[in-house]
Amino acid sequence: MNPFHFDGLVWHWPIAIYLFLAGMSAGAIFFAILLRYFCLGQDAWKSNFVRAACLIAPLAIWAGLGILVIDLTKPFDFWKILVFYNPLSVMSLGVMVLMVFQVFMFAWLALLFARPLTRLTASRMPFIGKFLAWLKPHEASITGLTMILSLSLGAYTGFLLSALPGYPLLNNPVLPVLFLMSGLSSGAAGALLLGVLMKGRPDSKEVKFIHKIEIPLILIELLVIFTFFAGLVLSGGAKLEAAGNALGQGFWGWIFWGGIIGLGLSLPLAMNLFMTASAQRRFSYVAFTASMSLLGVLLLRNFILYTGQMTML
Amino acid sequence: MDKSKRFFLKGAGALLAGMSAYQATRASEHSSPASQRKYALLHDENRCIGCDACTQACREVNQVPEGVSRLEIVRTGPHGEYPNQTYHFERQSCQHCENAPCVNVCPTGAAYKDPQTGIIKVDEWKCVGCLYCIAACPYKVRFIHPVTRAADKCDFCEQTRLSKGELPACVTSCPTQALVFGDLLDTQSGVYQLVRTQPVSRDKESLGTSPKLFKIRAAKGEVIL
Ligand code: SF4
Ligand code: SF4
Ligand code: SF4
Repeated sequence: MNPFHFDGLVWHWPIAIYLFLAGMSAGAIFFAILLRYFCLGQDAWKSNFVRAACLIAPLAIWAGLGILVIDLTKPFDFWKILVFYNPLSVMSLGVMVLMVFQVFMFAWLALLFARPLTRLTASRMPFIGKFLAWLKPHEASITGLTMILSLSLGAYTGFLLSALPGYPLLNNPVLPVLFLMSGLSSGAAGALLLGVLMKGRPDSKEVKFIHKIEIPLILIELLVIFTFFAGLVLSGGAKLEAAGNALGQGFWGWIFWGGIIGLGLSLPLAMNLFMTASAQRRFSYVAFTASMSLLGVLLLRNFILYTGQMTML
Repeated sequence: MDKSKRFFLKGAGALLAGMSAYQATRASEHSSPASQRKYALLHDENRCIGCDACTQACREVNQVPEGVSRLEIVRTGPHGEYPNQTYHFERQSCQHCENAPCVNVCPTGAAYKDPQTGIIKVDEWKCVGCLYCIAACPYKVRFIHPVTRAADKCDFCEQTRLSKGELPACVTSCPTQALVFGDLLDTQSGVYQLVRTQPVSRDKESLGTSPKLFKIRAAKGEVIL
């Protein structure tokens, strides 16, 4: 069987990339918020890692939406998704979350950069400073909502696929949790990679902070992947068959064991533990670990999307 | 730092508490007026000879382009030993699910159920071609129409035949009368009588889709282990 062309395949890799980018956007803003309130405080905007995360969040979501629109059979009719809503449709709810998410994300970003923005625009566009001062008292609500929306966005990427009743592997309640977790870690990895590329110090306290969260996150991800497949195997029937088709021999089996479990999760886990224990954080270590995490998440999205459609009820 | 942490948690907590879960409400179906119909189709596999007259009639009447189809007859066999061999013919087309996954997932409402007739239809104009319904349909009968670029499938010939008071093309073209079409709310209709008195079954009922394509299975079976 050709791993990229088979009977019953409806959604191709652009959807996997869209899911990857949406998850990364959610994860990046999530970690930016954590860095701001639990690590750096008021001056967070000066950190290259926070800046990297703040670049990734909007760019990734726009790129993802762009891919989604181009992938429609009628790309120029995409506005109809924004005008007509179906409250039962996960996609429709997701679009709603995406729109509201962007509003609050930008409000939060504006508050994060409030001081430099106010200073820059003080003489020419004083209304911006006034607007930011007006936003300021609502910081707690904006932050809380941005956080909740980013988690919803991360989970939505999983719900989108788990709402398909005909595919036993996808129609799985653990999938949204799995995609949320891997989305968060891709956001962290993206912020680290772009952060060191933007000349952030690889042994800074931001990197230590993110690594400290990444280690339990990877362990949880491994646990969730185990639960995902154990659930399929124990359900028997078509679900067992789907798990076998996905994890067994062949292209996607290699991707899973070598690419996702090996390169994407175990290697970054080992590197993170090593860097924490040896207190050695070099540019190459941090960049390599983050790249492997990103690769793992991208492979996971493709793996789930394709193998999920391989077995039909 | 501590202050900012507490501040953050307070805000997040307050919002979490304030947010009420979104309640998906099913569009309530209004009580039935006299014109209310619930169309259904029955395929008697014992009568079907696999001649494909129905698939050709469907293609012609509904102008279904080559490469896609609203209706297919899937042949399996031969079953049994020579000279007593038989084939089975199964009909593959939209089941007009009462609880249709394609309708539930469609983001724009382009896939919808006509409350008057129970027919699952596609609003070509509203459809953006996201393929979500095609992935969601457990019976794999939806496709993108190469000309309109919208999702398409069997609509019980609603536009081409029912609107003129005629039976669906596949039904009238069948030389053995293996297809019976009618209104399930009309206790006098042929399809109602057959569903009541014959051992009918439907595909993938366990998914809770409540299909309205009924089947009388081929009597001559074959155990394949
Ligand atoms: S068979 Fe498929 S296309 Fe037809 S109503 Fe059911 S889910 Fe929709
Ligand atoms: S392809 Fe069209 S009909 Fe199908 S879910 Fe998307 S918008 Fe709805
Ligand atoms: S009812 Fe009409 S559209 Fe449906 S399969 Fe028969 S001929 Fe085709």
